[in-house]
Amino acid sequence: MLDVLLEARDRNLYTAITDCGAGGLSSAVGEMAAELGAKVYLERVPLKYSGLSYMEIWISESQERMVLAVPPDNSEELIKLFEKENVEATVIGEFTDTKMLQLYYKDNLVCELEMAFLHSGLPSIPKKAVFVQTKHREPRFSCPKDLTKTLLALLSRYDICSKEWVIRQYDHEVQGGSVLKPLTGVCNDGPSDASIVKPLLDSQRGLIVSCGINFRYGFIDPYWMAASCIDEALRQIIAVGGSLEEVALLDNFCWGNPDKPDRLGSLVRATLGCYDFAKAFGAPFISGKDSLNNEFNVRGKSVSIPGTLLISALAVMPDVRKAVSMYAKNPTDLIYVVGLTKEELGGSHYYDLVGYTGNGVPKVDARRSKAIFNALSRASARGIIRAMHDCSDGGLGVALAEMAFSGGLGMDIFLAEVPYQASDNSNQAAKRNDFILFSESNSRFIVEVERKSQGEFEAQLKGLPFGLIGCVAKGRDFRVFGVCGEVCINTNIAELKDAWQKPLRW
Amino acid sequence: MIRPKVCVLRTAGTNCDKETAFAFKMAGGSVELVHINKIVSGQACLEKYHILALPGGFSYGDDISSGKIFANELKYKLRQDIEKFILDGKLIIGICNGFQVLVKSGILPGDSGFEQKASLILNDSAKFEDRWVYLKSHCRRGATLQTKCVWTKNLPEIIYLPVAHGEGKFVVKDNTVLNQLNRNNQIVFQYCDNYGRLSGYPFNPNGSQENIAGICDKSGRVFGLMPHPERHAYPQQHPRWTAKGNKKTGDGFQIFRNGVEYARKMF
Repeated sequence: MLDVLLEARDRNLYTAITDCGAGGLSSAVGEMAAELGAKVYLERVPLKYSGLSYMEIWISESQERMVLAVPPDNSEELIKLFEKENVEATVIGEFTDTKMLQLYYKDNLVCELEMAFLHSGLPSIPKKAVFVQTKHREPRFSCPKDLTKTLLALLSRYDICSKEWVIRQYDHEVQGGSVLKPLTGVCNDGPSDASIVKPLLDSQRGLIVSCGINFRYGFIDPYWMAASCIDEALRQIIAVGGSLEEVALLDNFCWGNPDKPDRLGSLVRATLGCYDFAKAFGAPFISGKDSLNNEFNVRGKSVSIPGTLLISALAVMPDVRKAVSMYAKNPTDLIYVVGLTKEELGGSHYYDLVGYTGNGVPKVDARRSKAIFNALSRASARGIIRAMHDCSDGGLGVALAEMAFSGGLGMDIFLAEVPYQASDNSNQAAKRNDFILFSESNSRFIVEVERKSQGEFEAQLKGLPFGLIGCVAKGRDFRVFGVCGEVCINTNIAELKDAWQKPLRW
Repeated sequence: MIRPKVCVLRTAGTNCDKETAFAFKMAGGSVELVHINKIVSGQACLEKYHILALPGGFSYGDDISSGKIFANELKYKLRQDIEKFILDGKLIIGICNGFQVLVKSGILPGDSGFEQKASLILNDSAKFEDRWVYLKSHCRRGATLQTKCVWTKNLPEIIYLPVAHGEGKFVVKDNTVLNQLNRNNQIVFQYCDNYGRLSGYPFNPNGSQENIAGICDKSGRVFGLMPHPERHAYPQQHPRWTAKGNKKTGDGFQIFRNGVEYARKMF
């Protein structure tokens, strides 16, 4: 059907088209005829099986159907075109100028409603929304000396570990345009930040697709969850060599029952975050989706899923040959962290691992974030970035490990060089290795740069927070030295990769 | 002849037609996408083409088994056209679903009067997989490398292409078929590791007998393979081009060039 639709489009045979989704013909025809009016003869609709009543025909959600508006003169040509490829196409009625919806079934008028009533007859319903910020327990524990086990445990969490098992089961290279695949690295098994496709094979223009999600931040404040998801989706665009020039967003809300004031309150908080940060980043929402009422009963009490927002981002890339991948490329190359690491562990994987939620949710400073994004876009356009990876779930520690094992190379990293802001900066003891490694502050990247490009790269970042934190190692050892120079992680990339792959290696 | 004419035959569920056409265009072919109904109804004619390409996809939803319905259409509706096409010395390539179609219609390994002698069955992993594989691109006979397949001349000994299929395990009806394939030098590609050694999963992604990834008929002009050469026709399709830099063409491109060059010389 799609093949023929494209041909019909190119021949200008139809003037409007709508997919039959929820509500079937009722929504598709209803929407298309909103300004006009329509007559539909329901007995003409081809049925998969007999015995449907006219109401069932009108609202059936059978898949793979489209409604087209076709000028009567084109109808014959269009139907012939579809016939040639064994696709059913049937005239089921006509658009009118009566501003009425009229449905007939075997010569009987079975529905007659004014379009105005159909589209705006429902009075808007006032609903109550309440948002009360939950005060979570602040964790009290001291920093473990050896963080190797912690890093391995983080890599094995289901939200962080390798999804290769499922990715391979989708044909992610069909149509031959995948320039950056979801799996990357020397063994094609590392996690790409985003995918790049070039829809037209004879052009170098591409599209970047990425997404940001972190439902745990919503336990603290859905507003900052939305801001963080937008920042994450956009920084993945930047991480693969894209820019904010031409970006767009999509939202996907999965929530509980919005008739309950607390559920609706958190939903409102999340949408406020979407609004503010879409504006701040100049990234319009072009579409979206929601799935509400996700609740189930446990012993008479209705439990809601965590209100979860998935943000997808799309960006146009003028030249896909400028793409940057996330895996370490070359021993002795320099490793930078760009962006400020703050004591923002509320809702982090690290806190969750040790049994806390905390309150210090990662926030977004859109002005600074944009400045960092733009500087890195300029640097990748100049071709001086060997590899770049976004810091998100699991913070610096997870991002560095992924970069190292995907590239088959070790790293030596010095936490003293990470630009860090503790919540109580006067207190030197607040500079903790675990917080620096696993904080999930937004707008941060790990960047690999050749030694000869050091000056040029640092010049691009003038005035922005960044630190030269180490280098790619010659061997396979992965070592992290703490703020006082002590070894706090000592392992190798095989062990790291195994921890990351093991949970879903089916 | 300047630009050999290539027919990329498509039907419902074909989804690799455009990139296959693109690869043939890059190689200098004059390409048309043709729906099978057009040929069956007589509106288009196979005879005017020099190369017939059966692209990847999931023709007719892969109902019954992958490629089976498309294969039967060729076998029962276009048999004479195909036989004449082959007799005229023209070229056929089937990629992925197209290979399944060639094997299930009996067009490959050939000489069987359209009787099916082999099959492509469910992967040993029992699931669809998209992954890159190394292929040994010549049959070794004694000390010399040789291939009779006109599609694979001048290839390096090992090439790198992606597979994406759920039913790609090549099996033969009985050992006589395998002996015939070996004796006539019809095994074109075998799955191997990066050193060229025949290896097990995941190097052999589906468990194919003798690691067979592609075969040709006795003439060397009819060729089918499970991996996708059109998905490695230009350099940025390689999964590690960001580290290796931009080569001029991808490993799969030479296959299309061979086809087009052969047709250019012969017709």
